[in-house]
Amino acid sequence: MGSFGFWQPIIIFSLLNVILTSGLYITALSGQLSMATAALAGIGGYVSAVLTANFDWPFVPAILVAAVATAIVGGLLAALMVRMRDFILKLTTLAFGEAMSVIAFNIPYIGGANGFSGIPLYSTMTDVVVVAALAIFVAWRFDGSQLGLASRAVRDDPLAAACNGVSVRQVRVTTFALGSAVIGAGGALSAHYVLLVTPSQMGFYFSLTYIIFLLFGGLQSLWGPLVATVLLTAAPEVLRFANEYRLILYGLIILLVILWRPNGLITRRPLGPGGRGPQSGTPSDIAFSGSRGSAAVDRREVETPIGTASD
Amino acid sequence: MILFLQQVLNGLIIGSTYAVVAVGFSMVFTVLRVINFAHPDIFMVGMFTGLAAALHVSDNIVVALIGGAIGAGLFGLVLERLVIRPLRGRDVLMTLIATLGVAIMAENGMAVLKGPDPLPFPALIGLTQFHLGGVQIGERQLLNFALSLAVLGFASWYVRSTRFGRATRAIAERPDVAAAFGVNVDVISQITVVLASMMAGVASVSVAVLYGNAWAFAGLLYGLKSFVVMLVAGNRYFEGVMAVALGLGVVEALVTGYLSSSLSDAVAFFLLIAVLFVRPSGLFGSYGS
Repeated sequence: MGSFGFWQPIIIFSLLNVILTSGLYITALSGQLSMATAALAGIGGYVSAVLTANFDWPFVPAILVAAVATAIVGGLLAALMVRMRDFILKLTTLAFGEAMSVIAFNIPYIGGANGFSGIPLYSTMTDVVVVAALAIFVAWRFDGSQLGLASRAVRDDPLAAACNGVSVRQVRVTTFALGSAVIGAGGALSAHYVLLVTPSQMGFYFSLTYIIFLLFGGLQSLWGPLVATVLLTAAPEVLRFANEYRLILYGLIILLVILWRPNGLITRRPLGPGGRGPQSGTPSDIAFSGSRGSAAVDRREVETPIGTASD
Repeated sequence: MILFLQQVLNGLIIGSTYAVVAVGFSMVFTVLRVINFAHPDIFMVGMFTGLAAALHVSDNIVVALIGGAIGAGLFGLVLERLVIRPLRGRDVLMTLIATLGVAIMAENGMAVLKGPDPLPFPALIGLTQFHLGGVQIGERQLLNFALSLAVLGFASWYVRSTRFGRATRAIAERPDVAAAFGVNVDVISQITVVLASMMAGVASVSVAVLYGNAWAFAGLLYGLKSFVVMLVAGNRYFEGVMAVALGLGVVEALVTGYLSSSLSDAVAFFLLIAVLFVRPSGLFGSYGS
């Protein structure tokens, strides 16, 4: 693929972030809004870095193994959290992310505090485009699949979902593992582009970026978060004309969009007879469970015959 | 033994500042169900208005403290009215991100105004060191500790013994029932944010005096830790938050003294993981769980 000059790194970073956001979207769909995205991406990055730099593995198998390893870690985490809900679950992922960062910090084999350097440069524009397309495809297919519907049911009301024969444990662990695999692949790809993985980039503030992408775009569809990811990754670069004011503008954009569209940039019009779009002044229909005002979550999904979504 | 006592003392002093920020964080979360990520930056704004008061009004420490409290309080007032109130009742994460947007603006805005590097803070009080059987404590540390305790004492008295405090606790318990019994939720919410902000403002000036500088990114150091302290303690009792904050300060100081300073930042998170698995609603319990 040709060179895009000034835009090339911006496009690559946007697409790398698109991969991670797709993974987080899959995870979040079953109600597990992970605050450990950066940590999972870091695990993928470290695994692939060690395999290629220390064991001379080729690029593609290293990325696949990184994705699988991250999926296993994510699945185990989800299995531990299966009884937790909402806020506590988010906090556990936060603590998990910080713990991963600290553990990486204290392993000299992977570079400790300085991070793992000397990673071979493999990721090209083409690779990133292909994997991003693949990640979007996976998230998109997942969104409409039986598992996707079961996930929404689990997110909206685990008890009702369980009563209708959905295995909450299975859905949660599977979605978390699937999302983690995508995130791990993205992290590995990113490691072979940036050529450095550090413990600090696994921390909470980095993970928060992806949550901003997700909520800024709106959790009701896949496209909202993806648009938000590209916009917000490019924003600090595009705003360079504003010099030192650019981060102030960045903060202002986030604030104004949240105030103006509290359900995110792109919202979904519920389908079916009598389906009405989210109106201003109606109770929040944010696609989360548990908090105040979320009882009115996307009715369409609550009313889908959950029985068909189970097996 | 001297090292041990010295580190415990240092830890209590750092912990007392964590406690003031964490109690403010917790007050706002408890009453408004909002994670105010701009709270650390309210602290930062207080630092700079305190600096302005010290430079342009009088170099008396009391003037600087009042300047810090007023600046932080006004920032909190505007934040509550323009950002938090329109989003109340939304998902916790929405306000988290909106206030994070405010935090990004405040930090970088201050960095544009005053430069990205720490500014020297005038020496408003002396540097006398007191010796207590081998353990040293400076005049500024003593001031910082005493002020923090005073602020915490005030918060505790306010919540336990005043009418407003009783209304505050009522809202924390059941906002709808409190409103039905005639509590003005809007007013109490606003008072809570402003009060928490003013407490942070006082603490910020005393920290600036202690370390001799004011920095646009000073809030970051206290933000995440105070958040963790609130979660570990649970938000039912302020005294619990204070105890955990002081304890965290001491443990961090001991880890720094005996192991390594790189590990001390991790202490908070290991504590958080341990508590989440054993007592998910915090050591001292939380509202609504």
